[in-house]
Amino acid sequence: MATDVMIQANGLTKRFGVVRALDKVNFEVKRGEVVGFLGPNGAGKSTTMRILTCFISPTNGSAKVNGHDVFDNPLEVRRSIGYLPQRAPLYTDMTVWEYLKFAAEIRGLDDGTFRKRLKKVVEVCGLAQSLGKDISTLSHGYRQRVGLGQALIHDPPILILDEPTSDLDPNEKAEVLRYIKEIGKDRTILLSTHNLAEVEEACARAIIVSKGRVVADGPLDQIRGKTGRLRYVVAIDEQHAEAGNKAPPAKQVQEALERIGGVKSVRELPTDESAHKFELSGSQDSDLRAEIFRLMVAKGWTLLELRRDAQSLDTVFRDLTRGDEKLDRGANWSAQDADEEEEEDAAAAEAGADDDEDEEDDDSDADDADDQEPKGKS
Amino acid sequence: MPPVLIIAKREFRSYFDSPLAYIVICLSFFALGLLFFLLNGGFWQVDRATISRLFEYTPMGLSFLVVPVVTMRLIAEERRSGTLEMLITLPVKDSDVVLGKFIGALGLVLVLVLSTLAYPIIMFKWPWNLGPLDLGPVGSGYFGLVLFSAAAVSVGLLISALTESQAVAFFITFFVLGGLWLFGDLAQKAGGALAIVLNYVSFQSRLSNFWRGLIDSRDVVFFLSVTVVSLMVAFRALERRKWA
Repeated sequence: MATDVMIQANGLTKRFGVVRALDKVNFEVKRGEVVGFLGPNGAGKSTTMRILTCFISPTNGSAKVNGHDVFDNPLEVRRSIGYLPQRAPLYTDMTVWEYLKFAAEIRGLDDGTFRKRLKKVVEVCGLAQSLGKDISTLSHGYRQRVGLGQALIHDPPILILDEPTSDLDPNEKAEVLRYIKEIGKDRTILLSTHNLAEVEEACARAIIVSKGRVVADGPLDQIRGKTGRLRYVVAIDEQHAEAGNKAPPAKQVQEALERIGGVKSVRELPTDESAHKFELSGSQDSDLRAEIFRLMVAKGWTLLELRRDAQSLDTVFRDLTRGDEKLDRGANWSAQDADEEEEEDAAAAEAGADDDEDEEDDDSDADDADDQEPKGKS
Repeated sequence: MPPVLIIAKREFRSYFDSPLAYIVICLSFFALGLLFFLLNGGFWQVDRATISRLFEYTPMGLSFLVVPVVTMRLIAEERRSGTLEMLITLPVKDSDVVLGKFIGALGLVLVLVLSTLAYPIIMFKWPWNLGPLDLGPVGSGYFGLVLFSAAAVSVGLLISALTESQAVAFFITFFVLGGLWLFGDLAQKAGGALAIVLNYVSFQSRLSNFWRGLIDSRDVVFFLSVTVVSLMVAFRALERRKWA
């Protein structure tokens, strides 16, 4: 095992009675990575995290955190992680300071170190004005911050955060994501969520789980490209055209677009009166933009917009996790055990992800959030 | 400080951060005063310098009210609110959690038990001296009370570890401890083999030796065994979450 693999899950399986919550989950997280752990509710995200933090044991398989086995060495594992469980359950009868002190004492921090770390944690999590308050009086967002603070108090190399942004209002969400990005510059972070926008904001890599299996694992771009399609949006002026040509009706444009080689489908998008807007999908390995431009020039139509997207993460996510819904609506359990081919799919997805290298946290979007400077106003 | 003591300290303090500790202590003293001085003619009727009544009523109050109230939330509440996950994923052993909570809760019960020392001190030492108090039974009585408290708290802790509901934990603890107490009265009515069995397991029968001034090693071992076994089962119950 390479020394920079901080979290390693090896064939993790967990059964709760007849329900298979996790099914041979494999993944690795390397030093300095911020990884989004994605999946619908009940896909096994929290179960995985609880196994990694030694709160529960896997039925099968093994996991190593910072080189320590979760079975043999749970205390060492827990020493190297900071963990924020879902909904940040805290002792509401304590003040924020008391709580952080309690966590620090159990982690064996001496007074001097605690004070130093407290200063840093208060700064990062924006807790300066709430230190003396009872936790029971805090809003959910602040409790989440306290939870994050207790996870950071001992300066752990690894952070495991279970839905750190659930139940927060948009401002608080942005704040927490900003902390995570800031913290993530020098730490390994595994962050679970079912909100894709958050992953795009804070993580460079994502692991998608569904029905207890890893269905995709890799850098976000690679995951977006998973279905092998690209999406183009074309808008054409509906009232005017170039060089004395007549503005075309929508149907004509659509037919013309469909004739371009490599276009798989064309769909008209709703717009106002001034333009026709179409969505095209084309294969991953070709670029249709030049063709579209030439068509516009040849016909003399006025091109208002032309852009190419990778498929949105949302779509990939829904594609990959669609089965969960069916299961919830009464598909039988045994089907789960039978479908071996799906398992192979998952294995293939993992194999494809193996080549991703140690990613640095993507700072480009960190910067625009940083200039809001929200520390002062907490 | 080892994690056990940090957990115990937090637990003990949290009783005093809420009104619980104050209410329990005040009402217990009020009730004990009523029982001690008024019930069955009261202390004066006995007309002897003894506080054995205190040793009789205190464990009854502990069994039927104080211990169930103090222990019901220990693990049940943490499990329900999810703080158990937060606590256990700190670098602590499960045994630290069980033992820490036991010590914290026992601490509160012992504060209550030891503050009843005010009775013998005030009545027989200063400011009043109502007669020559025989210190032997007082010492053994308190020794028994401490052992009993440990056993009762560990039973309560065990029951709290088995459920997620404080109310359920309260009622089951109430019935188990209450039952173990009343078995002593039942034994006097029943006869033969049944009486022997009931006397064997009854906290009341076991304690009555202590307040007569008799420290029997069998009674000491009994209370200690109940404590140790309950704590071990509670530890298993806590560990069960890993596999369930």
